[in-house]
Amino acid sequence: MIENFLAGTATLFGDPFTIGIFVFGVLGGMLFGAIPGVSMLTLAAILLPFTADLSPAQGVMLFAVIYCTGTYGGAITAILFNIPGAPENAPTAFDGYPMTQKGMAGKAVGAAVLCSAIGGVASALVMMSATEPLAKWAIMNIGPPEIFALVFFGLAVASSVGGRTIWKGWLSVLLGLLIATIGQDPVGGINRFNFGYSDLAAGIAFVPAILGFFAVSEIFIQAEKNESGKYSAPKFNVDFPSFFELWAHKIAVVRSIFVGFFCGILPGIGATLAAFMGYGEAVRWSKNKAEFGTGKLEGVISSETANNAATGAAMIPLLALGLPGGALTAMMVAVFQMHDLEPGPLVFYNSPELIWIVFAAMFYANLSILFVGLIETKTILYLLKIPFQFLAPMILMLASIGAYISRGLVLDVIVMFIAGIIGFLLRRSGYSIPGIVLGLILGKIGEQNFAQGMQMVHYDLGTYFSRPICTILIVAGVLTLLKSLYSAFFQKPKVT
Amino acid sequence: MGKLSRSDILEAFFWLLIAVIFFAVSFSFNQPIEIYKFGATGWPRVILFLMALVALGNFYHAYSKGSKAQEGRVGAKENDEPIEYTSTGQYFKTGMVLLLPLLYALSLKPVGFYSGTPIFIALIMIAWGERRVRFILTNTILIYAILIGLFMLVLNAPLPQGNISPFYDLSAFMLKTKTQLDQMF
Repeated sequence: MIENFLAGTATLFGDPFTIGIFVFGVLGGMLFGAIPGVSMLTLAAILLPFTADLSPAQGVMLFAVIYCTGTYGGAITAILFNIPGAPENAPTAFDGYPMTQKGMAGKAVGAAVLCSAIGGVASALVMMSATEPLAKWAIMNIGPPEIFALVFFGLAVASSVGGRTIWKGWLSVLLGLLIATIGQDPVGGINRFNFGYSDLAAGIAFVPAILGFFAVSEIFIQAEKNESGKYSAPKFNVDFPSFFELWAHKIAVVRSIFVGFFCGILPGIGATLAAFMGYGEAVRWSKNKAEFGTGKLEGVISSETANNAATGAAMIPLLALGLPGGALTAMMVAVFQMHDLEPGPLVFYNSPELIWIVFAAMFYANLSILFVGLIETKTILYLLKIPFQFLAPMILMLASIGAYISRGLVLDVIVMFIAGIIGFLLRRSGYSIPGIVLGLILGKIGEQNFAQGMQMVHYDLGTYFSRPICTILIVAGVLTLLKSLYSAFFQKPKVT
Repeated sequence: MGKLSRSDILEAFFWLLIAVIFFAVSFSFNQPIEIYKFGATGWPRVILFLMALVALGNFYHAYSKGSKAQEGRVGAKENDEPIEYTSTGQYFKTGMVLLLPLLYALSLKPVGFYSGTPIFIALIMIAWGERRVRFILTNTILIYAILIGLFMLVLNAPLPQGNISPFYDLSAFMLKTKTQLDQMF
């Protein structure tokens, strides 16, 4: 493992252009993660079409780096303005913002920097040691029925995360699955739902759909808020928590690493649930539960350690099984596909250099949070003053060009803006955009493997249950759905 | 009417309409596939059936519990809660913000990127409430210059040129100028 890691490091830092991409990913992820309204997903969506000009290793590495640093970046605005840059930073605001109000913003940001780096580095180390053995095992044990079962489980979980109610979570995933059926069917090549447009025979391309649902809908949401959404940057001093303060929370850090890693490894969950669970566990084990939410350092530490610990773990199902765990890893699948590659166990044999550049880049990206994080935080405070009237048209134009040049079709730009309008309306109504995108990406994989699996078992569904992994995943998926159904009928609405 | 709001009824109608339309369209490709028992329609029809079922569940949930967020939902962004509209002017403004980019996309084929983009940038700023003429002009030129510099000059990206005069002529002039610049340097 160490040899491979060193080889990955040498490749990463041996080429100036690759270094440039790495640095761009580190800074871009932090910057976009920190600016409310344009999350790391917006940056990733804009960059997606341009990765066609990069090598597969550079493209996937760029997204992996953005994933690590973007997850940290959202903590800055969560702490300073009570505006989480991304959903996974929401629990950080619970205690981070009260700390700012108490004049302890520097300490909260310092803790976020340190704990994001610790969580991320720990996760990257486990990812490096666990992914390859898992991929080798997967080659022997995972077939189409298991992949279908894993997609089913992932979608069951994805529908229960995001969305204002479970019903809206499910509808979001189902919409994504329906969009994925547009184009030729995976078995007979029969055109479906193309409404007479020959360009739609290849289906809805991922790039414009992702750009529309994430970047464009985000701009529309911000445009709507534009009239009232003016904020001023507060002053704060950089102030790392002392070694003793951090040592006092060592158990919280270790616990959050485990929680974050466990959540990250499950497809469809990712860093958001990790952050909420990390925070929740900190509250559950604390002797002073009432202090949480009033500006307790442990709240920031738990949330930020857990969400970054999920980033490395989320790469395991992607690289070992070819299944994305969240929106950004779903975009990585698109990067693979743009280069005629399929993520999954065979990548370890066909492109080992790609894997180890990505692993090394994620390790160093998490480490760089420690060194670049605080410096960039100060820069971000100045950049937050850029008027949104300038930023928004720029992003819309970049998205338009990105959607167009991926296939050279104006139809893709139209699809992107329609997806943006639908995304805007659905978000206003409390639907889950990551759910739609996961449905869109996993839908194609799911249908293909379901068809292959059914042909394999001669249409005998019972055979699925003679395969232990398949049985476990289907049962876990059904239990997840039943639990969600129970909460949908018997849980009270949130009092707001 | 329970706790139903107008948007809950519209939402249910929207989902059921999608399910019905797509189900009807699925008959147009309802052909058997020799090697696959469920054919091309099996998978999409199951999705449509589930969509209709879940839409009814969503409607029942809104009817019995209202449209407030369920307790314990993870990742449901609170800042995505809708902004209340108090005047028709606000609806008009949002409508403009949503439709302008779509109109721009539709105009790309006839008008092209080079002619349509500066007009779109300026219009979108106006639609978002910007009224300072100098700000609009300066930023339109700046954004346009960045885009042309990056995508046309540096990346050499093929962008839509339009197919009607005088827009096509302008695109041709810009590309010709770019070629001349390339030859000079």
